[in-house]
Amino acid sequence: MPALSTEGQTTNEGGGRKAAPYRRPYWLGALVSAMGALWLYNAYFLPQGARYAAIGPGLFVTIAGAGLLILGIILMVQIHRGERFEPQDAEDAAADAPMDRNAFLIALLAVVLPIIIMRPFGLPITAMIAFTLVCRAFGSRAWVVNLITGAIIGALAWFLFSRLGLQLGPFFGQRSNTLFAFLGF
Amino acid sequence: MSTFELLMQGFGVALQPVNLMWALIGSVLGTAIGILPGIGPALTIALLLPVTITLAPESAFIMFAGVLYGAMYGGSTTSILINTPGEAGSMMTALEGNKMARAGRGAAALATAAIGSFVAGTIATLALTFIAPAIAELAFYFRPADYFAITVLAFCSVAVVMGRSRTRGFISLFIGIALGVVGIDAMAGQPRLTFGMMQLLKGIELTVVLVSLFAVGEMLYVASRYRSVPGTMVSIKGQSWFTRNDFKRSWAPWLRGTAIGFPLGALPGSGSEIPTMLSYTLERKLSRSGEFGKGAIEGVAGPEAANNAAAAGILVPLLTLGLPTSATAAVLLAAFQNYGLQPGPNLFSNNPALVWGLIASLYIGNCMLLVLNLPLVGLWVQLLRIPRPQLYAGILVFAMIGVWGLAQSWVDLTIMALVGLMGYVMRVYDFPIAPVLIGLILGPMAEGYLRTALAASQGNPVALVSTPVSATVMTIAVLIFALPPLLKRLKADA
Repeated sequence: MPALSTEGQTTNEGGGRKAAPYRRPYWLGALVSAMGALWLYNAYFLPQGARYAAIGPGLFVTIAGAGLLILGIILMVQIHRGERFEPQDAEDAAADAPMDRNAFLIALLAVVLPIIIMRPFGLPITAMIAFTLVCRAFGSRAWVVNLITGAIIGALAWFLFSRLGLQLGPFFGQRSNTLFAFLGF
Repeated sequence: MSTFELLMQGFGVALQPVNLMWALIGSVLGTAIGILPGIGPALTIALLLPVTITLAPESAFIMFAGVLYGAMYGGSTTSILINTPGEAGSMMTALEGNKMARAGRGAAALATAAIGSFVAGTIATLALTFIAPAIAELAFYFRPADYFAITVLAFCSVAVVMGRSRTRGFISLFIGIALGVVGIDAMAGQPRLTFGMMQLLKGIELTVVLVSLFAVGEMLYVASRYRSVPGTMVSIKGQSWFTRNDFKRSWAPWLRGTAIGFPLGALPGSGSEIPTMLSYTLERKLSRSGEFGKGAIEGVAGPEAANNAAAAGILVPLLTLGLPTSATAAVLLAAFQNYGLQPGPNLFSNNPALVWGLIASLYIGNCMLLVLNLPLVGLWVQLLRIPRPQLYAGILVFAMIGVWGLAQSWVDLTIMALVGLMGYVMRVYDFPIAPVLIGLILGPMAEGYLRTALAASQGNPVALVSTPVSATVMTIAVLIFALPPLLKRLKADA
């Protein structure tokens, strides 16, 4: 997470809160412009025109990149002029509440961890871990129940969706093959 | 063949037992997700997409239609009974509906919502039945330049209308367009923005982006600002359902709501919030009882009807032009593309069984939902007993399965994490989300139309506005973009 964690500020995520001094989120515009610059840079190596059609594969990349670059700058100007951002309303969430950083990081871990463990350990185990982490992020401390619930949901989903023709990889992941070979199966 | 005959053929498809079963599954699922927080029709259909590979397209779309309509019914239930709208379109219903429930008229509010949804859904489906073929007929004469102009109009309106800031609306849209160019270029076969990764050659799937923005982004956002005080549910035991007087006060708002919802639903950008808001405002203005703000039945009847009519309205541009006007429509378009089908005028002539089966299933789904919802409302609200930690954990697990099931690729999971994080930031800093999806799915289409149009004219850009349709539509697009700030400036000067 980039500038969400600027020092000396814990309560004014999204801006506009009274408690802490308001810090202008310039990084928002900078990020948008950076994305635009990356797209523009890539467009530079693509042909803008083509022999048959009048425009080449680079044109739309250029448009998207230039658009983002300019919009990011406009956003930074707006932020400089004092644009305020109000968090969106969602069910079960208090838009004006301060950000609970620990809960957020645990929930983020539940999203990031599967990138690493999904292939070696398989869907059911990954689902179990991610499920338990999200429950913890929402304040549930019933570890055993959550682990079991996650495992059941993951295993049931694996069987059900595999039957419906979805490819979800080996039940215990790539590791299982080596493990089972080791055990002599 | 006349429209009526085609519709009867459609009923032949929709009434097959297997398709009736899918309609029922869709309706039940739709009602459930309409009631549950954190999960809406667009996300549900996106998660169902991979599963439907083995289904016939007719069955899949009949189920999706059930989800779409069911979510509208389900959303009203929670709005009325616990004042938490499950969907954006049910926000207005909560205003008067929950007050009615607190005043002991919850049953009547539920009834006017369900019957109003039914009436509006049926009328709007009727309108769809007769208007869609006419537009499809017209669209046969559209040229690539016309289609390009229409996509530009869609871009401008979603970016301007959705969300509170035009800058942020356009940023969302351009992020979508930027993600849309990733992968092998359709015409020149050149890889773009793949950063040397094989897995990116096929492009970034709409399903991954949609699931990440809606499920992961929402889960992260709610986790960071979780408020664990559940709303109090109002009991409706022993209340009178729907009196003659209620009907007298409801029928006109139903019809007005339908008249507002259907055309607005067909326009890009308005979604379901704007029609329901307009209907609420209209009923409030027309009301003389002074009951508004204290639980007026008109304030439930109108917006609920508008909401369901708008749901049918989005199908008009989607089926006839292949133009999605909301997040749900974008994912339906992706579903068509999964089956190798391109919605548009040709769909009506090449695939009548699919189009008319889908339209016929809307009539059937509406009847099913009325039966499912009114008597069983007590059963449905039990769903809200699912504890929130486990509910959001379950949503993430299903999102993960949906993304992993596409290609078992860690790249997809990485995109899910990154876009999910983006979805979180977009919620905190109030960027509209639907324009990303519209840009992602319409961007490549716009590029294709632009190329064909320009290739036909040897690259002369005047060709883009040379037909009457393209010139008119482009002008409207420019006006949508330029008019609001111009008016603001004029007002400031005056």
